[in-house]
Amino acid sequence: MNYESISPETLKTEYLSPENCSFFIGDAGFTGAVIKNEPHNRVILKRALPFGAPDDYICITDTENNELGIIEHVAAFSDQQQKIIGKELSLRYFIPVIQEIVSIKEKMGHFYFDVKIQGISKSFTVKDLSKNVRMHGENIDITDIDGNRYRITDFSAIAAKSRRKLEPYLY
Amino acid sequence: MKKTKPTDSPPDKKHGFTPAESEALAAAGADTADAIFVCRGDMDADCSYCDTWLWFNTASLFIARGTAQVGPSKNRKKRLEPEIKIEEIKTFHLKDVEELKCERYVSTGRLLIRGKDATLFAIGFTMSKIDQFDRLADAVNSFKKTGEAEIPPEKDDKSGRCKKCGAPCPPHRDFCKKHDKKTATAVRLFGFFGGYIPQIIVVLLVMLSDSAVSVFLPQLSTRRLFDDVLASETSSLPQEMLKALAVLVLSIFGIRLLNTVLSSFRQYIQGAIMPKVVYDIKVKIFKALQRLSVGFYTSKQTGSLMERVMRDATNIYWFFVDGVPGVILCVTTVIGVMTVMFIMNAKLSLIVLFATPLIFLLLYLGEKLFRNMHHRSWVYRSKVSSMVSDNIAGQREIKAFAKEDDEYERFTKASGNYKKAELKLALTEATVFPLAEIGVIILTAVVLGSGGVMVTRGEMTTGTLLSYIVYLEMLREPFDFLSWISNWWSRCADSAQRVFEIVDSDAEIKESENPVTLENCRGEVEISDLNFEYEPARPIIKNFNLRIEAGQMLGIVGRTGAGKSTIASLIARLYDLKKGEIKLDGVDIRELSFDSLRNNVGVVSQDIYLFMGTVADNIRYARPDASMDEVIAAAKAAHAHDFIMKLPDAYETRVGSGGQKLSGGEKQRVSIARTIIQNPRVLILDEATAAMDTETERNIQNSLTKLKAGRTTLAIAHRLSTLRDADMLAVIDEGTLIEYGTFDELIRKKGEFYKQFKLQSEALRSAGILENAPEDAGEHEEDA
Repeated sequence: MNYESISPETLKTEYLSPENCSFFIGDAGFTGAVIKNEPHNRVILKRALPFGAPDDYICITDTENNELGIIEHVAAFSDQQQKIIGKELSLRYFIPVIQEIVSIKEKMGHFYFDVKIQGISKSFTVKDLSKNVRMHGENIDITDIDGNRYRITDFSAIAAKSRRKLEPYLY
Repeated sequence: MKKTKPTDSPPDKKHGFTPAESEALAAAGADTADAIFVCRGDMDADCSYCDTWLWFNTASLFIARGTAQVGPSKNRKKRLEPEIKIEEIKTFHLKDVEELKCERYVSTGRLLIRGKDATLFAIGFTMSKIDQFDRLADAVNSFKKTGEAEIPPEKDDKSGRCKKCGAPCPPHRDFCKKHDKKTATAVRLFGFFGGYIPQIIVVLLVMLSDSAVSVFLPQLSTRRLFDDVLASETSSLPQEMLKALAVLVLSIFGIRLLNTVLSSFRQYIQGAIMPKVVYDIKVKIFKALQRLSVGFYTSKQTGSLMERVMRDATNIYWFFVDGVPGVILCVTTVIGVMTVMFIMNAKLSLIVLFATPLIFLLLYLGEKLFRNMHHRSWVYRSKVSSMVSDNIAGQREIKAFAKEDDEYERFTKASGNYKKAELKLALTEATVFPLAEIGVIILTAVVLGSGGVMVTRGEMTTGTLLSYIVYLEMLREPFDFLSWISNWWSRCADSAQRVFEIVDSDAEIKESENPVTLENCRGEVEISDLNFEYEPARPIIKNFNLRIEAGQMLGIVGRTGAGKSTIASLIARLYDLKKGEIKLDGVDIRELSFDSLRNNVGVVSQDIYLFMGTVADNIRYARPDASMDEVIAAAKAAHAHDFIMKLPDAYETRVGSGGQKLSGGEKQRVSIARTIIQNPRVLILDEATAAMDTETERNIQNSLTKLKAGRTTLAIAHRLSTLRDADMLAVIDEGTLIEYGTFDELIRKKGEFYKQFKLQSEALRSAGILENAPEDAGEHEEDA
């Protein structure tokens, strides 16, 4: 197989760039886009690599889930455009960041977390840590029994006291 | 479905406000008296945590934002009412609201209000609240549509609130972490032993006597041997000494023998009880598993059920076989030994009494440290195991992509991690255990030194001192055992909890209390206003309506993920629909008895499962009394007979797990034969012939066409040409019906079906398989 033969044209992938695509915030607060001169009042932005490259390969679809194109690198867009893209992505991918782990208690096969998020105390329960704690780089994502995700950004940088509480359960 | 008439019904207290909420909202100027449905949220529109209240009445939808804080309580038993502060209330007139919609994101959701002119983000919420928001949206939407609020029932997860304090707790749990007591689980676990109380009393008595013998033995074997035989002045004559020695040795032998007999007796009784108890537990779990609905097995909470059932029952078994008797023996031994030690020498015993908690603490801490290390090692070992099984299962792909070296590297890396974890564990054990041992040695030395002084002062005899040391040694094993029994019990309690979770789980699909039995089913299926979703705010089927006349063959087509198989599962009532109804011969399938439904609706699914057993057993699975003639006839109709006869043991070939491997197409044919023998009035073929070549598929279609006389058939297929014989065709996209008509009508219509048909025909033509397809389409084009 000649890899060079797989061109965007062959695969019909529409790569979007600042030349053929621009974003705007509509009156109701939705992110819209003008793609190849065609306006779309609301577009959905999805990350193809949410852990590895959150600002690359952003898939743009309409509300009916029809793909309109892919942004290869968000960085190619202007600062103002990046802000709009960033806001839409942060809404869809919002994950509360854990500032401090107050305690982790294991009882009857459930792990009860008491943490601080946005300066307030929050409690959640995790079942089966090996399946619901995902490490990617220095970040750790924890998924609770309701499907809520919580993130520890830069595990090595959080207070040693917090780190010691989670460390026994990581591998 | 709960229906609330807003005009003449008072607000449902269940869906109402608490007094504190009503008071706070009233103070903020909100009218809550006529609320039809109340939903409590936990985020504002900017994804910041706060408390929100959403409710609606006949005129408006309200969204209040604020905080609800529970202050510190002196009386912990009493649950305090939170102090509520309302910061903002927004009002939306229902006449301006077209629809409420929940959008689900990665970790949060948003409620959208679609108005006449625009749509706006109303508020955010976490995944914990998605069910509540979805119910609110349904309630408002139904109210807008019909003037009646249809409030979907709450998901049956025991409401997610602790029964004692109301704090959030995991699904399927009654209590939060504070009130989820292991003792309650223990009491329930011991309930399995309820039928064996006399035997248990005997076992306990034998254990107590066992402990008493152990405690008494050093008195004979050490103290009396030294003081009364070896060091006695009266036994200085060899004959006297030998006589005393013989009596002593025989006494020890007799006691030991009695001890062994009693232990054997205990083990005999225990051995007779335990398998029965484990059998009871396993049967109870298996029975519960059969009762549960398909949704339970596909839910992410269940994990690997098989592993759980077997491992958890084994964990419980070993704890009761080894752990519980061990605890009883250890506790009684410690009490007995300490009592004897105090009687022998109170001063020395005080030293021991002060030192033992320290040693016990050291052992406990060591055990806690090792627990984490053992956990890490266990995780790495699991990774290595799954990597090996992954590798073996994927050998074809590994070879095809020449990835042997990469796989070897991956394995050595994972295996290296496991080796490191094991090494660390071994080295730590080699360091920590001697430290604990040094503590014991120091204590023994102190006791020996102090005792020696007492012996020289004549305060105690040599025999007493030596037997005292023996008693001290006797404490070591029980302490060691008791230091890690809590960990063992935790594992057993976890296992028991998981077992009870399965046993207590309610089946989502329940038979009606007064089930209707269909005597002579005609096979008429009517689907009205069907809505369904596997997860809240992710609708799969939306307002779907369809009628299939008795004896008609209906083809369902649509893109992958359009919801075709979901409709098949809903007709078979593998899941319950969210809204709307499906009727069989005019009766809602939820009102039908399970027997009526299962006997009259047969499904050949795309995911075929063959049970362990022979081919014939699998074919007659639905009707075990089917004769061999019927089995062969069904196999012939499913075009399975020829390949079955080519198998070495023909109809007696063992298939399923560990049996003869069959290809996908062969399995499908056995599955079709299985459904044919069931003889259902409604036959659902869900991609039933997808894994077969076109010729075999065609042959089966011909057979099924003969069989379909008087039978309603619902066929789902990707290959549109196979649905030519269907009386009617339904085209589905994104869970809604977009086209309906006969094959010719849909081709003439030149809509989605025509587009798909043309694409498939062109693909086949370009592959040189089909030559006259375009003409077919062309004919229809001309007709049009």
